[in-house]
Amino acid sequence: MTDNDVIVAEGVVKTYDDSGVPVHAIRGIDYTLAKGEFTAIIGPSGSGKTTFLNVLAGLDTPTEGEVWLSGKLISDMSGKELSDFRRDHIGFIFQAYNLFPVLTAEENVEYVMLLQGIPPGERHERVMAILKKVGIAEYAGRLPMQLSGGQQQRVAVARAMVSRPSLVIADEPTANLDSKTSGALLDMMRRLNEETGVTFLFSTHDEIVMKRARKIVVLRDGKIDGKASLEDC
Amino acid sequence: MFIRLVKFAWKIIWRNGRRTVITGLAVGLGLGSMMFTEALMQGMAAHMIQTTTESWMGDAQIHRDGFPDTRNINLTINRLDSMLSMLDGDSTVSSFTARILSPASVTSTTELKPVTLIGVDSKTDPEVTMLEAAVDTGSYLSGESTEIIIGYKLADDLNAGLGDVIIITVAQADSGLSSSMFFVSGICRFGSDNLDRYSAFVNLTTAGVMLGIPGEIHEIAVQFPQAEMGADISLGFRRKFTAFSNTALGWPELAPQVGSMLSMVNISMAIMAAILFGLVVFGIVNSLFMSVFERMYEFGVMKAVGTRTGTISTMVILEAFWIAVISTVMGSAIGLLIIWITTGTGISFGEIEVSGIIFDKPIYPVLRLSRIWLYPLFTLILTTAAGIYPGIHAGRLNPAEAMRKSL
Repeated sequence: MTDNDVIVAEGVVKTYDDSGVPVHAIRGIDYTLAKGEFTAIIGPSGSGKTTFLNVLAGLDTPTEGEVWLSGKLISDMSGKELSDFRRDHIGFIFQAYNLFPVLTAEENVEYVMLLQGIPPGERHERVMAILKKVGIAEYAGRLPMQLSGGQQQRVAVARAMVSRPSLVIADEPTANLDSKTSGALLDMMRRLNEETGVTFLFSTHDEIVMKRARKIVVLRDGKIDGKASLEDC
Repeated sequence: MFIRLVKFAWKIIWRNGRRTVITGLAVGLGLGSMMFTEALMQGMAAHMIQTTTESWMGDAQIHRDGFPDTRNINLTINRLDSMLSMLDGDSTVSSFTARILSPASVTSTTELKPVTLIGVDSKTDPEVTMLEAAVDTGSYLSGESTEIIIGYKLADDLNAGLGDVIIITVAQADSGLSSSMFFVSGICRFGSDNLDRYSAFVNLTTAGVMLGIPGEIHEIAVQFPQAEMGADISLGFRRKFTAFSNTALGWPELAPQVGSMLSMVNISMAIMAAILFGLVVFGIVNSLFMSVFERMYEFGVMKAVGTRTGTISTMVILEAFWIAVISTVMGSAIGLLIIWITTGTGISFGEIEVSGIIFDKPIYPVLRLSRIWLYPLFTLILTTAAGIYPGIHAGRLNPAEAMRKSL
């Protein structure tokens, strides 16, 4: 692992055995993600995209193999260490329903900083700055149900970015958005990537998203099938 | 952070307001009914004590040692004058009256029945007992040596009415027999089988002469400002008047069946409270688990962004706390309202007899001040504690699994 790498995964295997029948979601992946990248993981349904992202983010533990994130071996961390590590180093954007419905947009974005123990004044300042950056500062006081799908995902992006993580992981961020909104959301994420240098790794099977990725990783049957820049595709 | 969690939990419980209100109402009804039942039981207990002490017994009694067990008519109060002057000077005593008690037989023109002949001081007795008030036909004792008051059941048994002649026969202190003729001057109705069927009341002097113990007595019935003082063994009264071979006893020792009934009431209440609070706990656990399962994805997201296990558990417990607060407020309001209404109207059970005590008047619930906060506090603590299990479950969810299973 070099200083330039955000993620290094070595021989990662993930097998589920919930119903007594083993399901091999990931079948031995070696992968390195460099700082500042804007990479999409693509593949058909059931190819293991979400599982791979979960393992890389420390949301799930690999059955075999090791995952290094920002120089730390996360596959061996305790639950509490992992929790704190994710809070401080990783931003998350999920498909949908990932905002807390009873909190306003501002409170949703503020939440992670609350966990970090950042003082109220600084929290408010940073929340408003990031909401302005994602273009929804005027909706700060609204509840998620009062926002459109695109606006909700912008709040999710703001929440992922506000804690200044080294990596943002997005699982199908445009899955519930129309193509125009998806394009605008990806453009905004790409702009944030360029402005802040934060690494973005997202799974998708949306062509609009793929076109905006700087690198693409193809997963098939739990294995990396190919790696290519968009130009190569 | 904790304050924010408290606010967060408050907002969460109103996401499904209907469920929160129904859960709160269910717990609240339990609490309210518990408070009301307890107050009703206290009302019944107060009625029992009142019936026992005010009708006849008094709050405490003084006897010569051994008299309560043997009923030996020779065991009269020792150093009576000293005892009476001590009672006169005792500030804890409201009033007292002297009595003579003896087994006797009563004969009418057609029947013969065993009774207890009771000689009462017609001047002081009304300050302690309900005898005067219990006379519903005829008149109270005026001091005439031939007058006698009998209960309505005894009157029925003897086929005797007002003005009829009856003969009382007693064994005297010197082992002789004494019979006297009396005219029924009053018929009383106490609501107690013992007094209405097996007692006959004459003047104290008359009884003393019949028994051959003039100027002596067997029993002093004492009344305190509050009946509870009769049960208070820490009160100096018992020490002070257990003297000169005499013993002072409170109503719990004099009427142990009442004490047993009160203990049974307390045990019943404890069992009922345990069952009710158990149901409350399971109800809350069920409701919170439903809420937790509905929010699996949300908990997954919370954990993903770095919320610690303890924080999530605390939040669920705080949700339980808020439901507890709502339940407690609703339950206390329901309970106090029902108690307030029934305290005014009373609850009539018709005429039932429990342990020889007849409940023929409405029972008025009695709310003990300690219960205004004790039961609600129990509800608050137990309902909040019911959040611990679902809270731990929610806190331990694996974020990836929680999101995977809820999609």
